[in-house]
This record gives sequence, C-alpha cells and structure tokens, in this order.
Amino acid sequence: MERTQCPNGRLSRPLLVLALAGLAPALALLLSACGGDVAPETAPAGQVAASAPTGVHIRTVPGVPTIPAGPIDARGHQARVACSTCHSIKAPDTTRKTGAELTAFHQGLQVAHGSLSCLSCHNEDDYDSLRLADGHRVPFERVMDLCAQCHGPQARDYAHGAHGGMSGYWDTTRGLQTRNQCTHCHAPHAPAYPAMKPTFKPRDRFLPPTRESNDD
Amino acid sequence: MEQAPSDVQSPSTHRVSYPRFLMRAISAATDGSFLFYAWMTGLTAVFLVGVNAWAHQASSGMINTHMTDHVSWGLYIANFTFMVGVAAGGVMMVIPAYLYKDRKMQDVVIIGELLAIAAIVSCLLFVIADLGRPDRFWHMFPGIGRFNFPMSMLTWDVLVLNGYLIINLHVVGYLLYMRFLGRKPNPRWYKPFILLSIVWAVSIHTVTAFLYQGLGGRPFWNSALLAPRFLASAFVSGPAFIILTMIVLRRFGGSRMSDQPMNTLVKIVRVTILINLLMVISELFTEFYAGGAHTSSARYLFFGHGEANALVPWIWSAIVFNIVAAVLFMKPDLVKHTKLLVTACTLAFAGAWIEKGMGLIVPGFIPSTLHEYVEYLPSHLEWRVAAGVVAFGLLVYSASLKVAIPIFRGDMRFEQAPPKETAEK
Amino acid sequence: MTEKSSGLTRRRMVKGLGATLGAAAFGAALSPLFRSSGMNAAELMQRHYKELTPADKQAVIERLQAEAKEAFGVSISIQDPRPTPQTKFVYAINLSVCNGSGKCVEACHKENNHDRETKQSYIRVLEMPKGTMDMEQGNTTYNHTVPSPDKFYMPVQCQQCDEPPCVDVCPVQATWKEKDGIVVVDYNWCIGCRYCMAACPYHARRFNWKKPYLPAEEINPNQGYLSNRVRPQGVVEKCHFCLHRTREGRLPACLEACPTGARVFGNILDPKSNIRWVLENKRVYVLKEELGTKPSFFYFFDK
Repeated sequence: MERTQCPNGRLSRPLLVLALAGLAPALALLLSACGGDVAPETAPAGQVAASAPTGVHIRTVPGVPTIPAGPIDARGHQARVACSTCHSIKAPDTTRKTGAELTAFHQGLQVAHGSLSCLSCHNEDDYDSLRLADGHRVPFERVMDLCAQCHGPQARDYAHGAHGGMSGYWDTTRGLQTRNQCTHCHAPHAPAYPAMKPTFKPRDRFLPPTRESNDD
Repeated sequence: MEQAPSDVQSPSTHRVSYPRFLMRAISAATDGSFLFYAWMTGLTAVFLVGVNAWAHQASSGMINTHMTDHVSWGLYIANFTFMVGVAAGGVMMVIPAYLYKDRKMQDVVIIGELLAIAAIVSCLLFVIADLGRPDRFWHMFPGIGRFNFPMSMLTWDVLVLNGYLIINLHVVGYLLYMRFLGRKPNPRWYKPFILLSIVWAVSIHTVTAFLYQGLGGRPFWNSALLAPRFLASAFVSGPAFIILTMIVLRRFGGSRMSDQPMNTLVKIVRVTILINLLMVISELFTEFYAGGAHTSSARYLFFGHGEANALVPWIWSAIVFNIVAAVLFMKPDLVKHTKLLVTACTLAFAGAWIEKGMGLIVPGFIPSTLHEYVEYLPSHLEWRVAAGVVAFGLLVYSASLKVAIPIFRGDMRFEQAPPKETAEK
Repeated sequence: MTEKSSGLTRRRMVKGLGATLGAAAFGAALSPLFRSSGMNAAELMQRHYKELTPADKQAVIERLQAEAKEAFGVSISIQDPRPTPQTKFVYAINLSVCNGSGKCVEACHKENNHDRETKQSYIRVLEMPKGTMDMEQGNTTYNHTVPSPDKFYMPVQCQQCDEPPCVDVCPVQATWKEKDGIVVVDYNWCIGCRYCMAACPYHARRFNWKKPYLPAEEINPNQGYLSNRVRPQGVVEKCHFCLHRTREGRLPACLEACPTGARVFGNILDPKSNIRWVLENKRVYVLKEELGTKPSFFYFFDK
C-alpha cells in the first residue's frame, strides 16, 4: 500500500536533482567514461581544481549504441558499427520478436526481458534514441526514464540511494558521489543480474571449505 | 609467654622471631626425603617445560594454540574456571571447623586453606597464560591502568580472587606463626577473616560463573543455574582433592591424622555430588525437552553435529565418572576402604574437571554465534603450558604443606635462642 | 665443626646449587621471550588513547609510521579522524539484492590491511535457505556460483550496537563506543583477554593470533589510528565502519565494492539521508533483537 502510494512528485524531484547535478561532471568526463568502466572519481590530475567536486555524479552511458561488426583487427580492436548505420536505410523486420530469430548482425544478442520486443524500447525509424511507452523519444543518456516506466519501485529506491551501486562520498557536501545507471549493472536486453562465483573466502583454521560445488 | 592473653608482644621480638619463622619455613620446604626431592624436582621440570612453552606462545603468538576466532577460549580458561572451584572448595573444611566448632577439623583445616592458596595462584597464572598481551598486564591494575569496574565481571573476578588469596594468606600465615611461637592464636586476628573467607569462597565462584552466565549471546552459558552448579561441583572437587592429599600425607608424610575429618569430607562430597548431578539433570532436561536453536551447544556436546563430535567422548566420560563416584560415595564406610576412596575421589575430581572445561567452556563457543561448527581440542603447546601451571600450583601446595604440617604437629617451634634483653634496644 | 653442622653445610651447598641451576633453567626456558624484537619502552608504557594529549598522540603516530617504514619499507600515513558532530552512522543491507559474491569480504580484507595468510576479514556471508531466519541453517563456506535459486545471502559484520556487550565486559576499557556510534578498539591498550569475543553475539570480533602478514606492495597506506593500521600481535580488532574513510565523508570500502548495490550507509541524524529513507520506508529488522543489543545495522527485503 504505502509503496504504491509513494508519490511520483517525490520520485521525480530527486531524480531531476540527480540528473542536473550529474550533468556538469558528466560532460567533463565524457571522454574518459565512454568505456563505461572507468571510475570517474579518478579524474586526470590536471583537471583537479582547488576545491574537489561535490554532489552526486551519475555515470554516463555510451550514447549511440553500437554492435560488434566482423572480426577483431590486428591491433586487437573490435570493429563496431552503430545500429543506425544499417537501420537508417533498412527497415526493421517487425515480424521477429526475439534475438534468436534475428540473424545478420544480431547473432549472440540475448534477449530475456519479459515479454518486451525490440520496438518496445527502440524507435522504428531512429535507432540513435530510445522510445518511451507513450511514443516520446528520449536520448540514450536518459535510459533510466525508460526503465522507470515499468520498474517503479526500483526507480523509487534508486532515487533514495537504496538501489544501485555507488562510490565516493556518502556526505555529498564534502565530496563527489558517483552512481551507476540501470544499464551499468543490468544488460538492457537481458537485465537479470549475472551469476557470480565467490572468489574470496576467508581461510579458517578447522573449518574446511565446502567441497561440493554445483558448477564443476 | 604461652599464656599471654593477647598477642601484644614487643615489636622487636617479632623482628627476631618472624624472620626466623620465614627462614625455618624456607629450610623446611626444601628439606626432605629422597621421595620428596624427586617429587619436587619432577614438578619443577614440568613447570619449566610449561614456562618454555608459554615463552614461545608469548613471542610468536597464540597461533600455536588451537583456539580460533570461533572458539576463542580453551584449555587455559577452562582450567582457570576449574581451579577457582578447587579454591572455593577448600573452604568446605573451614565451615565445619569454625562454624560448627569441630575441634578435630581445626587441626586439618590448614590443608584446605593451603589448597585454596595454591589453586588461586594457578588461577592467576592461567589468566596470564591466556592473555594475548601479557606485557600489558598492568593495564588491569586499579590506579595506574584503567579498571572497568563495576561494569566488567572480569574486574570483579580480579578483585575477589586476589582478595581471597590475601585473606587465606593472612589466616594461614597468622595461624602458622602463632603455632610456631607456641602461642594460642588470638581469635580477634583470625576468626573474622575465617568467617569472611567462607562468604568470599562462595563469591569467587559465583563471580566466575557470572563471567559466563551474563553473556546473552551464549545461550549455553546464559542460565541462572550456572553459579549454583559451579558451587556444587566446587564442593565436590575441593574436598575430593583434600581427601586425596590426606591419604598421601598419611602414606608418605607420616601424618597422624584421624579418620574423623576425612569422614566429614566424605559426607560433604556424598551430598554435593548428588546436588551437582541433580543440577546437571535439570539443565539437560531444559535443553533437550524444549529443543530449539538455543540447545544446539548441548546437542553438539552430547551427540555431536554431523562429523563434528570431538567433545562427545569427553562429556560421556565425565557423566560416567560422576555417576560412578556418586555411587561409591554412598558407601557408608568408604573411609575404611582406602582404594575405593581414592578411586571415588579421583573420579569425582576428573569428572568435575571435564565438566567445567571440555563440558562447559568449550561448548559455549560451539556452534559459534553465527552457528558455525568449528571444533576445538587443545594443542600440544596448550597442554604443556597447562601442565606447567598445574605443576607450579602443586609446588606451592607441596612446599607449604611441608612447612605447615610440622608446625601443626609441634615439631617445628621457635627456640628462644637470643635472650629477650639483647633483642631490646 | 661437629659432624652435624658439616652435614648441614653440605646440605646448604646442595640447596644453593639446586637453586642456581633452577634459576638458570628458568631463564633458559624463558629465552624465546627475548627473541621477539619490536618491543620498546615507549610502546610498553603508552597510555590509554583517551589519556593521550595531542602531543602524545602525534608522537605515537610518528613512532608507528616510522615502525611501519622500517618493517615494510613503505611510507604510510596514519590519521586520527574524530567523530563529526550531529553524525551517527547506520548501515543497512538489502537481502533481496545481495548475491553472496563476497566482494565486500574481499574489499574489507584489502582496505583494512588484514592478514593475507588467513584471508581475514570483518565480514562473513551466510548462505541461508529461503524460508527461515535460523542461522543454524546457514553456511559460510559455500563456493558454488551465486546466487543459488533457493538461497538468500546475509553478510554479517559488527553491528555497532547501541548497547554493546563487548564494551561492557572489557576489563581495561580498551574498547568503547564513540559519539558517531562506532565501537572502536585501542590496539595499544587491549590486553588480549578475548572476553569481548565471548560476549559478542554477532561474531564480529577477530583476534590477532599472530603478527599479521602483509606484503609491502599490498599495504593500504591510508590508515586510521583506531581503524585499519596494521595491528599488533595478540590484540582484538573489529569492523569500524571504515572510520578513516567515513569520518572524512567517504563511503565504506565494503559498500563501494558491492556489485549489486545491496548496501546503504549514511547518517541517521540527517532526515534527508539515504539510510533514513530506508529505515522509514522499508520493513527493516535487526539480528538477534531479543538480546537487547540495539544494533545500528539493519537488514531488509524488497520482496
């Protein structure tokens, strides 16, 4: 009851604040963050100002989506191609619903996201932006607005720092807090959090580790 | 001089007689038969082995013990707890002797008090052996350290144990010195302390039980029955050990003690061992009838948990020892059958030892507070240190008995060698 | 000289010899004690943390830094951040999200300069079957891929109780609760009696059974006097909410390491804080509430 009542106003305002606060450092860090894995708090030394940045920074997502195209070159780089390269000239095949049915360029694209299909989130005519349920276009940077349409409780918890990883400062008046967006942890096409292997176990004397392991 | 009504004596006389008393005591404690020398040498050797083991532990850390973050107390604290019981049990000679004015008992009460002293000395050594930082022992001294009194039960224990040691040292020292001088002890100087020591004996074991039973996070200990159970088992182990001492003294020390004090002690053990068993039964009933997560320690102790069952043989041995001893003690003329009496006392003593250590301190930690079953059996190093401490306690006990018995028999007396006049001014 | 007195003299000589031999053997038995270096008068005589003047504290910190430099060959910096007024730290974990990967365990291990050989850490993660809160059913030694479909995962570390039994029992006041709610240990005052370990209902305390082993290159040089400096042998330690970080406004290491974002940390006295929102809007619970320890550490489920 209380959860469903949790008002939208209360949700969107902090989101807005978060987004605004994230904007400035986001721009500054756009280059370094395009890999999506670089912790933005470790800014290049030259950029550190007299007073360290404060507030909340939301890690950016790579803007225009790309997919791997062809083999890896001699330098080890994976050639990538933007989705819009093909889709600006080639109409999507709306008869296909899942990645498994798609062939060229979409091999290995796992889709496991409820009953959603490609065009639930992608614009038929513009693959460089996302599509909200009401047909509005939003840039990829606002992917969280897209997710929040269905995942209200998660978005609400996120707005209050109770969902999603973060690093940096708890006291945002003293330093920068860096936060993930949805797609940093959840692959958009198969959002279930991947299984992990616990790699670090304390070594207790007289308490042998469990021998059976269901993976090997 | 013998019939002097009070102990008023010029201080200068004491200045002569007291050092002489100490000299004679040291000399008596180090003189004896071949058997005595062999015994004392053997104890010294064991003690030195213990000292060496402890020195290793103190320098390279307690990693060489088998204690862990899960079972963070082991053999040392178990023995400490047991020794507190032995010390408290020694007072069971004092109660009949002075509360019920049993004359025959008064002659042997000194044995109980000496046992109390030796046991307390061992207790304190066990605590030091258990410290991770023995070099910081002074942090516990009131005044120069920071003594968390009255919040920490451990500070209470430090106070009552040292208090008990001082009271007993005073009573024993005073009575022996007066006997040595050949004077009748002045009740003013020992009666109040004897009465105090009775109350104090109860307090040392109660406070020691409170150490454990006050911990809400350890359901195995968190029982109101713990303190009474400690006392009951103390009043088994203390008198049982005194009976054994008296038998040994009769055999090797040429003691002329009558059977009567021993009989009194047998009567005491006969009752207390049953009370102890009754309390164990009551405790076990509560644990096993109600069941639930709080009883997992008891279940582990008695029946093991999967492959973890290191303590099972220990506790069942203790139960068998206790029951056999209880049956033997029921025999009305047990005192007449020395072999049976020795068996009964040994079983009762060993039973109480296991019950306090492997049967109480260790299972309190198994399962851990996160319900993990990490087992514990003492390491070689721990056994060596513990043996060393016990040997030192026995050294103290043997040497002090060696002094006390001739004094009480009247064989060792102050000879008024220097004339009084020369001693004055 | 009569025969009797010469016998006495001989006896006395034998006794003297025995005593000398005994004393020598005692000294020899104790010799391992003197092998251990590292003992110095300044450390031996050091006063309790609360009795140190700022100058004393500075001297102690400089000594510790110099010792670390000598032992490891690395420069470390030891700070002593004090509680910020109007701050009380509270932690919460979302058990619906925690996947038992143990990343927090590892982060704690690295952040806090724990012994590498035992892989020590202040956190233990219990794998529990869904449908029970009985820790008896739990298991910390699982090593399969997580999360298991029928299991949930519960990390346990110091609960920073408001009524800490460990603090009550310490005979020398070597551990106490600070104004911001963190229970700390003065590693230079603890005598290693381990009574606090017996008293803690959450298995939060660890003992240094030996000198911690740390390769120089793995040392975290950013250290706190009451937190993650390399501990001496024979003293008790515990989770301190990374006070060398959190008192500077930073998040604890275990939170940053959490891959699922299950951890929420903050100042409960700030009405706008994340942690306050969690406590007000989620149905939270504490471990072993019946013991009356009043933890500052909460657990909750989303679903």
